[in-house]
Amino acid sequence: MCAGVELVAGRGMSPGVVWDVVNGGGDATARHIFFQLRLPRLLVSLGAGACLAVAGLVLQSALRNPLAGPEVTGVTPGAVLGAVTATALGLAGWDSPLAVVLAACTGGCAGAALLWLLAGRGRGDPAQTAVHGVLVSAVLGGLTAMVLLVEPGELGSVVQWLVGTTEGRVWQHWHLLWPWALVWGAGAWLLAGPLTLLRCGDDIALTAGLSVRPARTLALLCAVALTAGAVAAVGALGFVGLLVPHLAVAVFGADLRVSLPGAALVGAVVVCGADAAAQLSSRLPAPPGLDSGRFTLPVGALTACLGAALLLVVVRRTPSRTF
Amino acid sequence: MAASSVCALSLGTPYVPPHRLAGAVLDGDSTLAGIVVTELRVPRLVLALVAGACLGAAGLVLQEALRNPLAVPEMLGVSSGAALGVAAPLVLTLSLPAAVQPLLAIGGAALGGGLTLLAAGLGRSPSAVLLTGAAVAAALQAALLVLMVMADQLDLQLIYRYLLGSLSARTWDDIAGLWPWLLVAVPALVLCAPVLSVMRLGDEDAEALGVRAQRARLAALAIAVVLIAPVTAVCGPVAWVGFLAPHLARWFNPAAGAVRWLPWSAAWGAAVVTVADVPARLALAPVETPAGAWTALLGVPAGVALMRSGGRGRAARSASAVGKALRGPRTAVSGAADEVPRAGALDEARREEAGAGGTRPSPSRPTGREDAR
Repeated sequence: MCAGVELVAGRGMSPGVVWDVVNGGGDATARHIFFQLRLPRLLVSLGAGACLAVAGLVLQSALRNPLAGPEVTGVTPGAVLGAVTATALGLAGWDSPLAVVLAACTGGCAGAALLWLLAGRGRGDPAQTAVHGVLVSAVLGGLTAMVLLVEPGELGSVVQWLVGTTEGRVWQHWHLLWPWALVWGAGAWLLAGPLTLLRCGDDIALTAGLSVRPARTLALLCAVALTAGAVAAVGALGFVGLLVPHLAVAVFGADLRVSLPGAALVGAVVVCGADAAAQLSSRLPAPPGLDSGRFTLPVGALTACLGAALLLVVVRRTPSRTF
Repeated sequence: MAASSVCALSLGTPYVPPHRLAGAVLDGDSTLAGIVVTELRVPRLVLALVAGACLGAAGLVLQEALRNPLAVPEMLGVSSGAALGVAAPLVLTLSLPAAVQPLLAIGGAALGGGLTLLAAGLGRSPSAVLLTGAAVAAALQAALLVLMVMADQLDLQLIYRYLLGSLSARTWDDIAGLWPWLLVAVPALVLCAPVLSVMRLGDEDAEALGVRAQRARLAALAIAVVLIAPVTAVCGPVAWVGFLAPHLARWFNPAAGAVRWLPWSAAWGAAVVTVADVPARLALAPVETPAGAWTALLGVPAGVALMRSGGRGRAARSASAVGKALRGPRTAVSGAADEVPRAGALDEARREEAGAGGTRPSPSRPTGREDAR
């Protein structure tokens, strides 16, 4: 349903025209808009949502911390920094998605590596890791700011990276995203058993015969890769990786073999729905004093606002002993 | 501090040698150098000192009240909230009287800090407060970025620079708005300092001594908001000063209590902002970088390093206080002590402290001076 709304929403085409196009009719412009812009946009938002949600669930299980999310592991800011730096150096423009994606992945992995070094190469306890993650994110944010201020011309085009948006995503982005997401998603799903044990606590996992540290390291690697891919595709989409896992566990139960795919599904639906809502909002009359033609709400803004509200609920409900 | 003040006054274009500074100030409006110094550099320096002192003191108040070495304005969403309150009218092109700006900033800061504390609960573990705060700050940042998307390019530059905290183009008029708030905040600070040192003992002991812990925390948050918001309204939330300054104060004077740390923390805050403003003006001249970018880049690693080397004994004590307050074994986020003593292990920690009392970590001087490069 969300997908349907997503395809219909937005300026420039009425629902009737969309229906014509789906049935093989419509004029050339409408067909182009539908097949070259809307469809990839839909697919990218689905894919990115799924990636972020899975990454968040893996992180929360591996670190046993209900508040761990891609935002607090240095991956998201690292990826943003990579993309921004590449753009500022002129290595990547908006006409070459591949270069941007590569730069974002490199940055994300660098951010995660920095965290890993700081947090004591995997032997740090979960709370420490989370705290260091926040600090690493802060430093990377400062660096991003520096780059942006040296290259002020890029600021306008880069702001969307900082919020997360699906504007102007084309087939090229989708082709880059899906193999990556598929490989790492499958990897995460294979780790579902060990992760379920990790959720129960290290002692229980050890008793059950799981070697905790390698399992945790592998899981973190998966999460980093998934996050980097998603950020490279849509930018720093806030809160999806933090809150969708809670929804998924509430709906599908705590057995990760079921709830990991569940989280992917929920994440995809949430991001897609948010994107549809954002598109619909662009049809509303613009607030006074703004150029109505240019104004569209980025998806990231919606997810962030929803997320903050949900976060209050989640934190209040979690018993304080868990972290 | 004196050296960086002199640098702040004499470097730049035109360069005024230090021995001519006095003359330039006395000349006042008659020479170019005089005008530049009196109308641009002196107010900027004063603002740096005042803003830094406010942020440093606010950071210490928050850290002591929440017994959490990471409870800093940035982490509690206070800074982002204040910035949102200031930036919103700027983008939406509402013209407001100058007196309303600090009020908006205070509203935003209170909203951000209140939201975090509401979500995290007042006595939760440091990491919970930290993560919740990070999330709240991220939400507020997203709201800000949406505003930025709506703004046009010229505003965008201005807002972005401001978000990090920048002292550029601030004159006497801007500073004049700060005084009334300071008059409110300073007596409040003096009054709350003894309460802060009691809060260190943990909630139960503080209650036994007649301090209402929850109310004291809310009061501390209110004081911090009153300190941070006006500064934010003038020059943006200079990032991470509230984190670095209290840790510097503790590191140089580990034996003192909260009452003694407060002035030191303010002094260090002032020094940090003044020092950071020098490269901010000169590093990429003629482009000015915001001072906040420098404090974020250098302040976070330096603060973490200080936190880690802060002496096992004190870390253990604060950790045990946290553990005690939370009635249960808990992981504390205080670098040195990963293992929290079980509740009630205060004596143990005290013994440990007595053992570690004389061993100051070998001072690695560069930490504080790095920004002078």
